[in-house]
Amino acid sequence: MHQAAATPPRIMPSVSGPELPPCRVADLPGITSLEIRRLFPEVPEQIYLKGEDFSAIRRATENALKDVDMSMIRPHDSVNLLCSEHGFSILEGGPYKEMLRTIKDVVQARTGCENIRLRFSVGSAKSEAREMIAYFGLEKDFGEKIASVGPFDRGVAIETEIGTLYGIARIYDADWIIHAHYDDPRELYFHHLIDRALKPFTMSYARLETRSVYHKNFDSRSSNIVPRAIFESPFVQSKFAFACLLMTSPAGVVDIGADNDLHRLNRRLIINTLKSFGKLIRLFGEIDECVAALDAGRWPWYLHGGGLTSGNLFMAPTDHLDLDICPVRKTGNKLVNSAVKMLLLNYTWRENLHGLLAFYPIIIASREIAEGLSFGVQKRAKMIADDLEQALSAAVQMAGTDKVIVFDGSFGSINLSPSMRDFLTSRAPEVSRKVDEHYLPLWLSQRGIDPKEV
Amino acid sequence: MRKVHSVAQVDQAKCIGDRICENICMTGAIRVVHKKAVVDEQKCVACQKCIDYCEEGAIRLVPRSQPLVLRVDLSEVDQDQLEKLCRKAHLHPDDVICPCTATTAGEVGAAILKGAKTPEDISLMTGVRTACGMWCMCLVQEMLRAHGLKTTPPKGYTWYEVDTALWTIPDEVVRKYPEYRLDEARLLFEERMDNQAPKES
Repeated sequence: MHQAAATPPRIMPSVSGPELPPCRVADLPGITSLEIRRLFPEVPEQIYLKGEDFSAIRRATENALKDVDMSMIRPHDSVNLLCSEHGFSILEGGPYKEMLRTIKDVVQARTGCENIRLRFSVGSAKSEAREMIAYFGLEKDFGEKIASVGPFDRGVAIETEIGTLYGIARIYDADWIIHAHYDDPRELYFHHLIDRALKPFTMSYARLETRSVYHKNFDSRSSNIVPRAIFESPFVQSKFAFACLLMTSPAGVVDIGADNDLHRLNRRLIINTLKSFGKLIRLFGEIDECVAALDAGRWPWYLHGGGLTSGNLFMAPTDHLDLDICPVRKTGNKLVNSAVKMLLLNYTWRENLHGLLAFYPIIIASREIAEGLSFGVQKRAKMIADDLEQALSAAVQMAGTDKVIVFDGSFGSINLSPSMRDFLTSRAPEVSRKVDEHYLPLWLSQRGIDPKEV
Repeated sequence: MRKVHSVAQVDQAKCIGDRICENICMTGAIRVVHKKAVVDEQKCVACQKCIDYCEEGAIRLVPRSQPLVLRVDLSEVDQDQLEKLCRKAHLHPDDVICPCTATTAGEVGAAILKGAKTPEDISLMTGVRTACGMWCMCLVQEMLRAHGLKTTPPKGYTWYEVDTALWTIPDEVVRKYPEYRLDEARLLFEERMDNQAPKES
């Protein structure tokens, strides 16, 4: 019997993308769904997957903050609560928003400090922050104490062990900072899960020059020294109060972590990610041919399917968690996974001319969607279909495979075609065995963690 | 190489002269004169950063009558000199240093050999830094330093000079943090340069 696809998270309307599509890939008759915990039963169960009830997130945040020392924050101090835009792409953004609201409430209640400002960091465009602040109604919780910050804003010099680097002045313009982030394994190929919890200090909270140094003046393994040096600088240490993380597994949000010791929290993040996502990451590496359907609201790299971002498929031929594999220089990252025979675009944000979409054949679901993407993408498209159903049919035919995997923001399950479901299901036991016996012990020990301890 | 088809236009009635656009502009195309922003059309590369950062919504793009073409002909410079310059910056001439515009280290080097002295000059000659405006910045600065040019950031916060790189990390820091394998990374860089890496996709 055909199992219907899981309903994917809603897409937030954005000036960065086309008009919202009339139909999602998951709505098509040929698409079904595969629960992650049917593939890998040991994946930690979620405390939140969908819906408007965020009480589990609030409870988990309050619980995580119980043992955090906040005594350094005095009633008349100023506190910057630092958040980053990608957290709002996880499960429609509600869990991250609830975590932020709860942090504010707990800090206020415990310290008497009222001057808690939300610093909303974006990857590049301020318009993203403006529309997200409005969409998520953040003014309701933070009033006028919200500022969007981006890499082109005024900088502040940070003296580090590796030289002078620049943070964004408005990130650090308070007595204290609270680092509020998330752990989903995006951009493994850039950070290799070495200092994932520290990375925002060289990206979200940094000026463009510092981001450039991280990406271009090191290889992807050694570049982890940059966020470490910034975080350990006397300047940042003098302001750092604590960190709080939205912790996920492919099943959904699994917990909230908080600590005054960011390295200890980073270690917890690493263990959680390797144990929760490691098998699915390796399973993506098994895919030999597919049509990848992009159908969610962010850039093509960052769309979740089964809780894992699409970039993990595009970079799947290499095990980016194995620290002995020589990382390529940032100027030479190879973006092509030859197993991806076709990209079907039903929704994604516009990207620069030489972004991911330049590396794959493309079919666009409709003229309306095409017009919301760049002219270059339209020109390169093999076909601009009349509707999504026609687009999927053509993609399957042109790609020569009916294995379809959908990146539509889903956690808990992957929407896919029956043949892809059967393929992944058949490969999962062997992948599971290999990860348990070989990869997980290797990944852990490479990060200084005794596998027996885990 | 980049072909620019549009240009920024300021709505003088909306402009409050806050100088944000002046500080954002990576080619120095916008200046605030008498409390109003003014665009130098010959320097505007339509990167749209000013539009995005303007809280007043005072700037928009309009079509150019003739496209502005940003291109340097590599064949017009000495190839040995070009290769030496790139190597000194730890790059190969074929390295794509600006993925957004597909600009290579060779093109940036050629612009420098033809007289570019600042990141703004290089952007206007090659198109580098004119899309995302971020990732290639340290490499542009490295190329200028490799040619012996000392750059001074413009007044404000358009860009800051940063020279941290794998090859500038003090040895004691390399030893202090073995987990980042900085020594190994340096060796890989050197090997890559010695092996004349093939042209990258």
